[in-house]
Amino acid sequence: MDLMLECIDLKFQYRNKIVFAHISFQALPGRFCAILGRNGSGKTTLIHCLNHILNPLSGRILVQGRDMASFGRNDIARTISLLPQEQIDIFPYRVLDVVVMGRAPFLKMAARPGEKDYAIAEKALRQLNAQDLSLRNFNRISGGERQIVLLARCLAQAAPIMLLDEPTNHLDFNHQHHLLSSMGRLCREKGISVVAAMHDPNLAAMFADDVIMIKDGRVMAKGVKEKVMTEENISTLYDMDIRKVGRKAETFFSPRDIFLNCRL
Amino acid sequence: MRHPLSTRSLVLLLTAVLMVSFILSVSSGRVPIRFSDMIRMASNFFQNPEGALMSKDLVFLWVRLPRCLMAVLAGSSLAVTGAVYQALFRNPLVSPDILGVSAGCTFGAALGLVLPFNSMYLVHFLSFGFGLMAVALSMGLARVISIKPVIILVLAGMVVMSFFNALLMVVKYFSDPYDELPSIIYWVMGSLSRITWDNVLVLAPFAAAGIFLFILLGFRLNILSMGDIQARSLGMNPSFFRVILIAASSFMVAVCVATCGQIAWIGLVIPHLARTLAGPEHERMIPVSALLGGIFLLLADSLARTLSSAEIPVGIITALTGAPVFAWFMFRNRSSGWI
Repeated sequence: MDLMLECIDLKFQYRNKIVFAHISFQALPGRFCAILGRNGSGKTTLIHCLNHILNPLSGRILVQGRDMASFGRNDIARTISLLPQEQIDIFPYRVLDVVVMGRAPFLKMAARPGEKDYAIAEKALRQLNAQDLSLRNFNRISGGERQIVLLARCLAQAAPIMLLDEPTNHLDFNHQHHLLSSMGRLCREKGISVVAAMHDPNLAAMFADDVIMIKDGRVMAKGVKEKVMTEENISTLYDMDIRKVGRKAETFFSPRDIFLNCRL
Repeated sequence: MRHPLSTRSLVLLLTAVLMVSFILSVSSGRVPIRFSDMIRMASNFFQNPEGALMSKDLVFLWVRLPRCLMAVLAGSSLAVTGAVYQALFRNPLVSPDILGVSAGCTFGAALGLVLPFNSMYLVHFLSFGFGLMAVALSMGLARVISIKPVIILVLAGMVVMSFFNALLMVVKYFSDPYDELPSIIYWVMGSLSRITWDNVLVLAPFAAAGIFLFILLGFRLNILSMGDIQARSLGMNPSFFRVILIAASSFMVAVCVATCGQIAWIGLVIPHLARTLAGPEHERMIPVSALLGGIFLLLADSLARTLSSAEIPVGIITALTGAPVFAWFMFRNRSSGWI
């Protein structure tokens, strides 16, 4: 298997505060890799570093063996797409016009998207069963529908690596599962490597292939889900006593004592 | 969400409206000039360029024509820069004054009016210079602070704006209350009554280049309005585009304010009207904004000239009409999710 994305000894700091250091991992094509950690553990910062939206203080990011420092912004955007966490609603753009923005890295500076680009955007919406949304106002659809639309924009961007920043925040149960299972399916069908910062270990247990756990700015554990997601690891990661229930594919993590055992 | 008119037909329609308004505007005023007069002047010009001109011809050529051209250019410039700023700052309530360009221009003009040289060129030059300086200060300040670029830029603009407003008060306080103070006050109200061909020839290249640039970058503006993180993830460098777009806008607005004074509301209201007609995508709404801005200021200036025997400052008319129009837009767009 060839490597898609590899980061070596990544370090980042805001002013004097080190957010994380010595982060090294690999993401493989066709595999869904979840990054787990508590709030403020630097998951979003790491995702932004992988995309060079933020510049790491030291360390290297290799994309298919090439150092990303040598990439221009457009080259990065053609290789890596991002499903952002922030929700901006400003002008009432049509959904299709939001999806077609994914074609930007392929267009000249002063060009506007042509028929071919709109066709790609429509196809991306169809792949997610969201073609009915295409003429709706992006500001007036639900939060879950918006995430699907932004995922369609990532597909229109046609990058072999996809970063998701807490993609299921604020989504209802149905949308969480719809989004992540579409994601997993596309990742396997198209051989995309997906790296997703996630909050819910149960969703990661259900949809991810590999898991990276980040605690106190270090990689606490990484590897194949089945090996890494143990009661001990999850308990240490979230600073609470957690037990595993169910078996095999239907594994859930639940606090051992729901009321008493939470240490902040 | 589909708009009844395609952008192309909307642009053609508005171009026709602009042309009709232009002819109406040129012909109305204290000295009425009929369409037949214009044709006679044009044919005289081609057959006998050295021939003597009638007083009507002089009014038309040296007063009316530059003034109406200026109204179109300034209206378009203010409207498109407003549209660009609203996208850059991701805020529908932003107008081109936000970085202090108008405050700087007004202070510069007031300074020029109280200085002893009594030259209109000096007034324009100081106004233009201080307008650009205000924007440069805002951007410099935001750069030094360098976190959350967009919000800090707005706050830096407020700081600079307040500072130049304070300086303006200093100038007003020390000016001669019988002669200089009224001229400063009239200047601030905004008027096209002193426009000459020189002013038109200065603004024209800036306006043309700026509008052309904004139309070309329309699709990029859509992406910039989604926020820096998304813009970067889509392969753009938002800081670079901000500098380019703000610099181009500031030159356009500084020339407008330095020559016409403060003309309120166009930069805020016209982009909203354009969005309502053409949709929010900038590649469609920027040309529509330019045309609407030109038409609006042209008509407002015609009213300013013809409503009473004395000239009303056009800034009063744009503000009086702009405010209720804006209120109507807020009502009209209340369910589209951006206010």
